[in-house]
Amino acid sequence: MSNASTNSRILFGQPVSVLLPWIIAAIILLILPVFLGSRSQLTILSQMGITIVFALAYNMLLGQGGMLSFGHAVYMGLGSFMCLHVMNATWFGALPLPLLPLIGGFFGLIFAFIIGSFSTRKAGTVFAMISLGIGELFAALVLIVTVFFGGEEGISGYRDEGLPFFGIEFISNLEVYYLISIWMFVAVVLMYLFSRTPVGRMANAVRDNPERAEFLGYSARWVRFASFTVSGFFCGVAGGLSAILFEIATETDLNVTASGAILLITFLGGVGFFWGPIIGAIVFTLLATVLGLQTHLWELYLGVVFVGVVMFFPAGLSGIIMSHVPALKTGKLGTLVMPYITCVLPGVIGGLGIAALVEMSFHVRSGAADEHEMTLFWIDFSTHNVLPWVVPLVIAVVGVGLAVRNAPAFKAAWDNASTLPEAA
Amino acid sequence: MTSALELVNLRKSFGQTEIIRGVDLSIPKGERHAIIGPNGAGKSTLFNLITGRFPQTAGVVELNGQDLAGKAPYEINRLGLSRSFQITNIFPMMTVFENVRCSLLWSRGYKYSFWNLVARSNDLTEAADAILEQINLTARRELPAGVLSYAEQRALEIGITIAGGANVIMLDEPTAGMSHSETDYIVELIRKVTENKTLVMVEHDMGVVFGLADRISVLVYGEIIATGAPEEVRANPRVQEAYLGAAMEAH
Repeated sequence: MSNASTNSRILFGQPVSVLLPWIIAAIILLILPVFLGSRSQLTILSQMGITIVFALAYNMLLGQGGMLSFGHAVYMGLGSFMCLHVMNATWFGALPLPLLPLIGGFFGLIFAFIIGSFSTRKAGTVFAMISLGIGELFAALVLIVTVFFGGEEGISGYRDEGLPFFGIEFISNLEVYYLISIWMFVAVVLMYLFSRTPVGRMANAVRDNPERAEFLGYSARWVRFASFTVSGFFCGVAGGLSAILFEIATETDLNVTASGAILLITFLGGVGFFWGPIIGAIVFTLLATVLGLQTHLWELYLGVVFVGVVMFFPAGLSGIIMSHVPALKTGKLGTLVMPYITCVLPGVIGGLGIAALVEMSFHVRSGAADEHEMTLFWIDFSTHNVLPWVVPLVIAVVGVGLAVRNAPAFKAAWDNASTLPEAA
Repeated sequence: MTSALELVNLRKSFGQTEIIRGVDLSIPKGERHAIIGPNGAGKSTLFNLITGRFPQTAGVVELNGQDLAGKAPYEINRLGLSRSFQITNIFPMMTVFENVRCSLLWSRGYKYSFWNLVARSNDLTEAADAILEQINLTARRELPAGVLSYAEQRALEIGITIAGGANVIMLDEPTAGMSHSETDYIVELIRKVTENKTLVMVEHDMGVVFGLADRISVLVYGEIIATGAPEEVRANPRVQEAYLGAAMEAH
């Protein structure tokens, strides 16, 4: 931030270097469909966009405000249900679809306002337990109040029954992709700006030290309540976008599993940087959709990745990325290429070998009794031969062995690249 | 003229135990007042009663003539009283600059606003930088506060405490755990930043107390046994008996 002022070019009252990441992001969003234009690809991208909004809204609590919520899918889910009821209302024909997420946001805000009014009195365990209780409560209500939540089938509607927006009826996936992208972009910008406002800054202060904040004139409770309410709004927006994309809302949208997933996504991406949850949302959506199509065990791999990140890189994926900054500053990032090839790459390949063994074991145990053929990494083979077992086993042992052997060298290179040479 | 702080028959009990047993104290505006006393005398409890951290059991605390009964810490702060803590109490994950800027926000009228961007206010940036200059932490501006040395963190806490422009500053053992040179530095800093303000401090270091304070109160077992100028207090036989004698011998 402090170096930005050296850039003399100004755009919208800001130095260009400050705006550059946003401009690049906008261009990427604009041209992505050129490369990933199939129906399923556009759906995955749209889903990613929704998850990004939700994860960032969640991180307003977890990362920015120091509140651990176990029931935050409630606000997104309620926004989604509300929007579907609007889609089924007779006056939906008079409402342009792009405004629908605003309605979701409004209801997310209202519910967060009501629940936050008592749940944000305390942070820490008390807040977490209340959020868990609220999550369970609404998950139960879904199956009880069937008039509103539609029971197990949920509520569905049709997005193209809204008022055409400049002739666009949002029938194609491409139109929906752009609608969601624009909403996501605006929501991300607004959430970023919120973190720069007085109340957004004080959210950090209350997270770090609520008592000190109180002795600076701020009620910690009001600061938490403000963050909670604003977060509820953006969760509701994500819910509205989800209603548009999937045209259905069910119990799975607001149960405790969904709340757990967003916690996992946010933590995976890293709570320390504003953009961390974006990385988490992208990686999670890719794992859930692309990998989810390939294997039933994708959640197992997600769990392993998650535990690994939490144990070894508590700052998340964004923390891993940012840990390269010192090496970049010393100009020695290039010296890390070889250590990466000799240590990290074998480790990853070895991991794939282990995954192959896991997949094959799963296939033998759970596949049909006489079905021995399976496909892995685009190779067809029979699980009743010896060779297909030996190959991944050798790959796993050699890969992991190489990684372990070269780890000290990697660490040495890392330390060398990250520290400045002694003053010359 | 109303005094900056007025304590009338202030009492505090924890269960059956009475810790503060009827304190009467009047601190005029602009005075530097030190509260001393042996360990367990109730100095920190008295501090916490005045600043609203605990509610009192009985008695009155008035700040600039205003009764503080039932007010939360943030409300008391808004009335012009600011404090530091015995154990360093800063925002460790935020930068030094942001620590100071956050402590300016309320008094500058930003309150809970979400339509201003803090970075756009040159006023705020300049005021925060001026305070960093005062506490000699300009060079540490962009570091997370948690990585500063102990003395620097204490200085930062004093900066946070004075930033809001409160006219009554309360410091709880500002030099605790510091070396001689660090103590001298902090004493000078306190002298500088409390110019024209009312200062109330708890302190164990007699050098600091006699160097800084206009008046001293001696608290023993929850009661003030003497109040007066440093020489008077030093000469008071009850004080010598209860506390100072032993402390002076040790020094």
